[in-house]
Amino acid sequence: MPAEVGVGWPPGFAAAPQDRLALVRLSCLRGITPRGLFALAWAEGSAGACLKAIETGRAGSAADRTWAAEVDPNEVLGSTERCGASFLANGDPGFPDELNDLLADPPGWLFVRGRALRAGAPRVAIVGSRTCSAAGRDIAFDLGRRLAGAGVAVVSGAANGIDAASHRGALAAPGPTVAVLGSGIDVFYPPSKRGMLERIEAGGTIVSEYPPATAAEPHHFPARNRIIAALAEALVVVEGAKKSGSRISVDHALDLGREVFAVPGPVTSLLSETPLELIREGATMVRGADDLLADLGIAARVAVAAPPELPVAERRAYEALSAPALPDAIARHAGLSIPEAVSALLGLEFRGLVRVQGGRYERRLVSSTPDAHGND
Amino acid sequence: MYGRVVGVTVLGVGGYPLTVEAFVGRGLPSFTLTGLPGAAVADARDRIRPAVEHAGLEWPLRRVVVNLAPGNLRKEGAGLDLPIAAAVLVATAQVPEPAVDGWALAGELSLKGEVLSTPGILSVAIAAARAGLRGVVVPAANALEASQIDGLQVVGAGSLADVARFLRGTWEPPPPEERSPDATSASDVDLAEIRGQAQARRALEVAAAGGHNLLMVGSPGAGKTMLARRLATILPGLTREEALESSQLHSVAGLLSGKGLLQTRPFRAPHHTVSTAGLLGGGSVVLRPGEASLAHHGVLFLDEFTEFRRDAVEALRQPLEDGRIVLTRSTGSAEFPARFTLVAAANPCPCGYHGDPIRHCPCPEHRRLQYRQKLSGPLLDRIDLRLRVPRLTKQELMGSEGGEASAKVRDRVQQARERQRSRYAGIGVLCNGHLSGPAARREARLAPEGEDLLSRAVESMALTGRGFDRALKVARTVADLEGHDTILAVHMAEALSYRTGFEDEEAMARAG
Repeated sequence: MPAEVGVGWPPGFAAAPQDRLALVRLSCLRGITPRGLFALAWAEGSAGACLKAIETGRAGSAADRTWAAEVDPNEVLGSTERCGASFLANGDPGFPDELNDLLADPPGWLFVRGRALRAGAPRVAIVGSRTCSAAGRDIAFDLGRRLAGAGVAVVSGAANGIDAASHRGALAAPGPTVAVLGSGIDVFYPPSKRGMLERIEAGGTIVSEYPPATAAEPHHFPARNRIIAALAEALVVVEGAKKSGSRISVDHALDLGREVFAVPGPVTSLLSETPLELIREGATMVRGADDLLADLGIAARVAVAAPPELPVAERRAYEALSAPALPDAIARHAGLSIPEAVSALLGLEFRGLVRVQGGRYERRLVSSTPDAHGND
Repeated sequence: MYGRVVGVTVLGVGGYPLTVEAFVGRGLPSFTLTGLPGAAVADARDRIRPAVEHAGLEWPLRRVVVNLAPGNLRKEGAGLDLPIAAAVLVATAQVPEPAVDGWALAGELSLKGEVLSTPGILSVAIAAARAGLRGVVVPAANALEASQIDGLQVVGAGSLADVARFLRGTWEPPPPEERSPDATSASDVDLAEIRGQAQARRALEVAAAGGHNLLMVGSPGAGKTMLARRLATILPGLTREEALESSQLHSVAGLLSGKGLLQTRPFRAPHHTVSTAGLLGGGSVVLRPGEASLAHHGVLFLDEFTEFRRDAVEALRQPLEDGRIVLTRSTGSAEFPARFTLVAAANPCPCGYHGDPIRHCPCPEHRRLQYRQKLSGPLLDRIDLRLRVPRLTKQELMGSEGGEASAKVRDRVQQARERQRSRYAGIGVLCNGHLSGPAARREARLAPEGEDLLSRAVESMALTGRGFDRALKVARTVADLEGHDTILAVHMAEALSYRTGFEDEEAMARAG
């Protein structure tokens, strides 16, 4: 296989109608890797020629050959349209040019639903643990909300945990957000995020490399992460244990020359391992949305809610809450009786200033509101 | 050649007096037992002759017929050995007939003629007293429990020979031991031993005061079992009737041997592999009380609540609702009282460490939700207090003082119970925990600020209708503990703080 590849896909790769249909068939192959197909494209020059190479067994696997024979491109395009998505070839108007920064494996096509991706629009990716802490969820939500509020699209993977929280934050702003799926464009995975994805479709964009009806396979997610990293101009890691999937996104972002930010956490927490390691390696430490917007040179358009005037007992309880604590300890530090402290904490909970986590009370980020996490 | 004595069979928890008549007449030596004997009773035929001969008495080598009347009642238990033997002794004039008048006899015999410890003797004594008999002849090992009944003479016999000598008037039974003093709550554990966990200790107090069921969610090592065990120590002391009722159940189950009445409220902690029959009672022939009944007037603790068999846990709904269990078999039915405080404990997630400040929980969200869904919904509805019991850090443990002693807390609980008793005198309910939803709304008496707080909770915490009722009942108990007729905002706030069991997961489920 010739190692000569250019930047982006060969010009006119899928320009002719029959080449375009060939590209749709190529999008359904599961054996050949994006990297392999990209190299093949430069060797062959057009989608039709690539398909022929696979059909004749010069490239791809035997399974690819069977799949290529079985796929009806018009049916694929039909179900794409039926779910409200469109098929974009690399180079089509509306295809995000940033993806060609992936020098070895730029996607040759994308399925897109919801709003079109604006060229040159600022985007920031937020990634992190699926089993995040409640505090991590708040941070991601706030980052998403503030970025989207300032007009920066929030790119993430629609997974549980940090991903979902950052999308939700963006939706709450309300502002633009982009979900990159590891499943077919009409398969909403995980199922629990269906409601959220429907809202993203209405107010943002959903993209996927995978044709309709493709199930979410484990190996899709690392590939999906390269698209997340490439779509955004910067990447923020909120929480992640060692060897997390976030690490893969970070490696892509570094290869792509994207800036990497990390939100630190306590050194004793496993969820801080990835962010703290990144900071040591030179990632920019951000404490929250203010730091991030300042570093990105974006003026905050969302005013931070000032801590409201609190009744005396609530203020004392709030001040006593420097770290997560049990109600009796809060009462002791605030000089309140336990019933007084419990009442004050409930008031603070109503105001969205504190939350209960595992039996302990802790402060929330001031600017996120309790119902902002939304009932979809 | 005819003899008649009174025996008692125990069906379920109740004793039923029987006439045991014996006829000894001409014919080939044989022993016939009629009158619907159960399997254990039918066995008596083979046991009784060796026992009689070993006791130095004579077994008639003639035709022996023993009848148990009334004939329509199925007779269960080995306790009929002794009356059957006695009836034969009367029929053969080995003991004088008038001597058995006014006595009921019960006890199992060994082949050596010993009178063995027998389950259900307390029920026998209660039935005998109710039937107006003078006294009972029971196994010596069970004499103490029988002597708890007023106005009943108790003869504790160690052997059939003693029984015969007693009936002939040649042997005086040793005077029964001192009747046990009225129950106290003396116990080997005390609430004061628990350091930290102020909220959990208070929740126990509220549970005890209002008769509320309690769910504790916490990581392994948080102290859930320790806390549950101490709930029994702050419940009001057993009244004499309560002690009799629970002791009767323990007696029937054969767990009371050698003791008088229960002194403390029972605490039962069945393992999570328990079967439905083990939990609720059962058996194909002899119906035995289950753990739920053995916890009558006490605490039933289900640790690892999510691991219990679903059908067993679901079946607890009847006793939680009615305070009793009715078992029906083809051979008959039995009713066992079972009014207990349920304390359930569960981990917050499959690994047990979700929400822990130090250990990271790797459980994915959907596994946590699945775990949460293993809790039976209908049963959860009957649990008013849900509490998150955090694992304490070393600093938190060092910084906290030990709590009040059980006795002190129990005094407050008792007073709160009094208030409830007098308030609910007209509606046949003992405590707030037993109120139905509409009754709770009628009886709550919310001060305006309390009402305000509750409606804010409905809005911002997405409180359901049942959650609303539960908060109301718990707030009512908190107000009763503080001696208030109306529920103030501070009482309501405390009640609303007892709903942190699985809230993270619930919030996640809502956020979907």
